[in-house]
Parts: sequence; C-alpha cells; structure tokens
Amino acid sequence: MKKMLKKSALAAASLGLAASVLAGCNDKKEAGNADEFKGKITIWDGPRWPDEEENKFHWLEAKIKEYEEAHEGVEIELVQVPWAEMGDKLGVAIAGKAWPDIAPVDISGSAVSIDHIEQGVIESMDNYLDKKEKEDFYENALDAYTYDGKLYGIPNSITLHSMLLNLDLFEEAGVEPPKDGNWTYDEFLQAAEKLTFDRDGDGKMDVYGFSTYILPGYYEAWPFFYKNGGSPLNEDMTEFTFDSPEVVKAIQDLADLKLKQKVAPETLGGNDVGGTFQAWANEEQRTVAMEPWATWAIGAAQGAYPTNFAVANYPTGDSKEPVTIGGVGGWVMMHQDDANKRAAVADFMKFISTADEQYHMAQHYGIFPARVSAAEMDPFKDNPQMTRAMEMSDQVVMLPRHPEWRKIDEAIQNELQLVFNGEKTAEQAMADAKKAVDKIIK
Amino acid sequence: MTQMPMGAVPKKKEEKMKLFRKPNKNLFRQMKKNYSAYLFLLPKLILFTLFVAIPVVWAFILSFQKYKVFGSEFIGLKNYIEVFQSDAFWIALKNTLLFTVVTVPFGVISALVLSTLIFELGKLSQSLFRSAFYLPTVTSMVIIAMVWRWMYNYDFGLFNYVLGWFGVGPVNWLGQSNTALWALIIMQCLIPFGVGIIMYLASMGSISQSLYEAARMDGASKFKQWIHITIPLLKPTTLYLVLLSTIGSFQVFTQIIMMTGGGPGSATETLVHLIYKTGFRDFDFGLAGAQSVVLFVIILIFSVIQFRVLRHDE
Repeated sequence: MKKMLKKSALAAASLGLAASVLAGCNDKKEAGNADEFKGKITIWDGPRWPDEEENKFHWLEAKIKEYEEAHEGVEIELVQVPWAEMGDKLGVAIAGKAWPDIAPVDISGSAVSIDHIEQGVIESMDNYLDKKEKEDFYENALDAYTYDGKLYGIPNSITLHSMLLNLDLFEEAGVEPPKDGNWTYDEFLQAAEKLTFDRDGDGKMDVYGFSTYILPGYYEAWPFFYKNGGSPLNEDMTEFTFDSPEVVKAIQDLADLKLKQKVAPETLGGNDVGGTFQAWANEEQRTVAMEPWATWAIGAAQGAYPTNFAVANYPTGDSKEPVTIGGVGGWVMMHQDDANKRAAVADFMKFISTADEQYHMAQHYGIFPARVSAAEMDPFKDNPQMTRAMEMSDQVVMLPRHPEWRKIDEAIQNELQLVFNGEKTAEQAMADAKKAVDKIIK
Repeated sequence: MTQMPMGAVPKKKEEKMKLFRKPNKNLFRQMKKNYSAYLFLLPKLILFTLFVAIPVVWAFILSFQKYKVFGSEFIGLKNYIEVFQSDAFWIALKNTLLFTVVTVPFGVISALVLSTLIFELGKLSQSLFRSAFYLPTVTSMVIIAMVWRWMYNYDFGLFNYVLGWFGVGPVNWLGQSNTALWALIIMQCLIPFGVGIIMYLASMGSISQSLYEAARMDGASKFKQWIHITIPLLKPTTLYLVLLSTIGSFQVFTQIIMMTGGGPGSATETLVHLIYKTGFRDFDFGLAGAQSVVLFVIILIFSVIQFRVLRHDE
C-alpha cells in the first residue's frame, strides 16, 4: 500500500512538473519574440503639447523615429485622432475588426470596456511586464488597468479633479482663499455667498461664486456628491446606492447653490462644458469665481487663458475627508494574432512609457506620472498649482468599473440634470435613477 | 359606340402584361445597346451597394444577434422585445413624433406660401429670393446648430437679449425640460425649407396660365385662384415634399447632438440619437440594429399613410 502511494505521488509530481514545463513553453510561445518581428505597427494618439511649429504630435513622432532606427524592418504608423472622437472612432474600428495595434485609452468603458476584455479584443500585458517593473507603478494606476487579476495596458498618467479659484475675484470680493486649500462645505458656501456680487450696481449679479455642469461622462461635480460618504454602486456592484440619505443631501446641497442660495448662475448643472470654462477662465468674462476641473484646466489657465488662480480640495462634508474623482490614462494593446508582433507592440509600448518619458509628459502635458520613479524626479518643482493638485492623489476615488457603466452613468446624470433644473428634488431623482439603474444591473 | 376587336387587349392591360414577361434576349440586347448608360450608372450603383444596401441588410441581420467582436450569437427577437420594453425608446419616439408633427406641416406650408409670394415677383427678384432661401440647405447643419446654440445662450443669446427689451426673461431655452424640445422645433421651423421652395416654384411655373385666365374671367379672386387651382395642382409636389420632410424629421440628429445631447434628462432624446448612443456608446450593435429596423417600419407606415391621403388621383 505504501509503495502504491509512493508511486502515485511520484506520478503526480512528474505530471505536475511536465504540466508546468509545458505551460512555461506555452507562455513563452504566447509571449513571442519582438526581435523576430518585421512589419508595421499602427498606433493611434490624440494631440498633446505643441512644439514651436504648433505640431501637437511631435513627441510621439520623435519616439517613433527613434524606435524605427533601432529596429530595422519595423515601421510604426501614427494615426492622429482628435481626443473628442477617440472613443467613437475606436468603437467603430472595434466593431469592424479594424483596430489599431495600440490605442491611448483606459479600460473604464469610455472607449473600451470590460466587455471588450472578456471578448478578447484587448491583450494582456502580463507576459511583458515583470513583477519588478510593475512595482514602479502606483497601485491605483495598475488597478485601473487590471481586470480579473490580469494587467490590460500600461498606465502613463493619472488625472484628478480639483477646485480652481480665481484669486483676482477673491481679492475683489475681500474673501480669503482656504488655507492650504482645505475647507469645509460651510466655509465654501460662505465664500460663494461673498463671491456673488453686483459689480456695477444695476441690480443684476455680475459674478457668481460657483458653477459647474452635469453631463454623462463628466465628473467635475461628483466629488461634491461623495462629501458625506456613499458611492453610486455597492461594493459588489449589484445595487444602486446613490439614493442613500447622505448622497441625496449632498446632491441637493449643490443644486441649492443655484435654487436657494442663488450663488451660482442659471447655467449651473447645464451641459455647456466650453461655456462653463470660459465663464471662469476667459479674460473677457470671468463671471464665476470657483469651478471644479480636471488637471488639464490647470495647464490651460497657465497657458492659453492666463489666470491668477489657486488649487484647492473639494470642500469636506459629514465624512470630514476631502474626496476627488480620478482617472488613469495609458496605452492598451489590441488583439494580435502573431505572437512576435504582440511582443514587438509590447516592446514599443514600454519604450514610450519609461520613467523619463512620463516625467517629460508630466512637465509639458499637465498630467501626473503613473510611475513612482517619474514622480520622484519632481516634474512640478517650478509649478506650485500642479504640485498642489498632485497632493490630492491620495484623495482619489475611482468610479465603479461596471461593464454597463456608460448606461448607468447616463441614467444618473440625466436625473441629476433635472435636480439642477429644479424639476425634481434630489430624493425623487435618485429614486427614479434607482429604477433605471436596477434595470441595467439586473 | 366603338367595339374592341376580338382578341384585342386593352392598352393599359397590354402594358401591364409587358411587365410580367420573362426577360428575353431582347432585354440583354437592349442592355448591350445601352451599355454606355449602364456604365455611367455603375459607379453610383457600386457606392450605393457598398454604403447603403449592404449596411442596411447587415443592420437587419444584426438586429437578431447579440453582437460580439468574435462570433455574434443569434438571439431571435430578444432585441426587438428590449426595444419595446425600454422607456428610453418610448420617450424618444414621443419626442420625435412631436418634432415631426409640428415641423413637417410648418415647413411645407411655409414653403408653399413663400413660393407663392416669390412667384409673383420679377425674374431678378425671384432668383435673389430663391438663392437666399436655398442657402440654409447647402449650409452644414453643424454650423447652423452652433449659431442657434449661441442665439439660445442664457447669458449672451439673441433671444434673451430681445426678451430683455420687454422686461421678460431671461429663459434657459436649452436647459429646461419644458423649453428645450420646443426650442429645437422653433429652430427647425425657422430654417427655410429651401428644397420645398425650389420645387414649388418649378411646379408653379408648369401650371397652365389658361386655367388662371378662365378663373379670372369667372371673377375668382387671387386667393380663390390659389386655393382652387394652385394648391390642388401642386398636390404631387406637396406629397413628395411631405414624404421627404417627414423622413428627414424622423431622422433628426445633428441638432440634438450639437445642442442638447438629448437632455436635459431625456427631454430632447430622439430616435436616431438613441440609435447612435446604443451603437457607438454602448457598442450594442444588435439592439441598435433592432431600433433602426423599428424606425424604418415607423417611417414606412407614415409614408404609406401620407401617400394614400395625399396621392394625386387621376
């Protein structure tokens, strides 16, 4: 009997060893060999920062040239796509199986979704980034590209939303900006009240304290809804929870800035993104003192729309903790049939995602690096506003990564628009949103 | 009474029979003879097949599938059931119907009235007005929508500026559920129906002047001539324009995506915008296909009804 057990154990061990050797061979075969690839790689990218000739693709063009020179027989084609069209164009390309090899998107559902990963449209990067390499990325950046334990892309940037305060208007109204950018909702409300004023005495307000907009896919207002705690969905994403009393109160508080306190313009909660930004940043307008924006707006207020401004946290509510919504940008590899090409594509993705490149991009493009080593190079040492915004990284809350998030988001945002119009109370709106979202989830 | 000879077939019947004859060598001979005409038609035919016929057939096939990048699965009528069970579809249908019911009659009637007024003018003035009213037709709807978006702007818009003269407003035209759809309807109504004006003017020119002379001799006023001669004789043109503008109104999209995005809430959601979102935002091409087929059937039903009501009986 003992002998039999020994034999069985030996057989099992041999089988295990054989299986792992075979699996190793398979992994290697699957990973391919980049050096053996000769051919064309297609990459899509949107406009980034301009050079002297206003070419906003110069950075990637230079990297492509450098890579092609070092890899004979490899040609990289850059397809320039406006950011506003990236999602739609990629969606159509995926539907027609005519995707590029590399695309500058995340997997949150804006252009590609979990559904695409499940269908095999996005390649995993696990064979191409070892544990040590992964350790150089911020955990939340890797999390944003991880699904079911596998990494689907290389993060290259982190963005977040922050409050931008027009300091000239603060000075004109005699309001002190929040110390170190920290404030409670009551302090924010008091500031907004003082910042709403009639400059020329004609009985009409010329400046309002606060404004923002509500639109599917945009989250500038959302950190206000998290101020008392709560989130759109429960942890296992099986239930809509934005109808909890703390969230309902937070939503109503923000809408009441226009409806009751009258410290926000009529357009608060509208859908005019450009108009809202112009009201804060355009020298000829400057009719709003405080607006929440993603980090690109910091670059715009330092460049195209020079503004004397400060960066602050979102005001805190009952939870006492400042919260902001963040996003992670990066590169994903689309489905590849040839293992060697897959390896070459991964190699190029790594080539444009090094710490040096992320440092360079952070300095010029107004985003935060996804690599720890790039952040340690201190890309914002001469940029106090970006430095302040980067301090908010640990306040970041990510949106739920539900496969149907786009539909859920629209159901919520449509109802939010009606709250800000004064057509529904936050309680009614979120009760109606729950009905719509429950249908989507179930 | 003249009698028809035995075995003779009435002319109309004979023509009908010709249609049902099997294609014979003559047909191919004729095609061969007119090959240059077919050659000229070929590029258009190829483009039509590639960009219209094949996508339409594909959308129909997709409507019975759960679309997946690698291997879609056949799911029968599930997409159609989902269309009719979805609140968004019924809201979009209601908004689209309201848009169509108001803008189509307004567009066609205003084109008729304007054409009548222009027709009375001299040649030079006619050309001038014809060009002026046709201009919006050749202007991109994106540009028109951007201009109107500015006109409806709450702070700087033309409408609120004018209302201000009378101490009224301002109104958040595109931001309120009860005004947003009407703002789009007003915009559509105020864009001249250029094609309609051109077609009505052409048709008016072909009405025999002897009819008007006879009416004048009978003492009919200008208005009565218009009601009893012009309008009835323009019926085929009216039918064509009603069909054309109904199809266009059911497909309203550019204004929606440029000006409201379907909001606030779902106040300006329309069928084509819903199809666009389902296809290119949710990537649910099967459901979008089903929605498109349903829209096609709705337009078909409306067209048949309009055709039956307005057709020109010989």
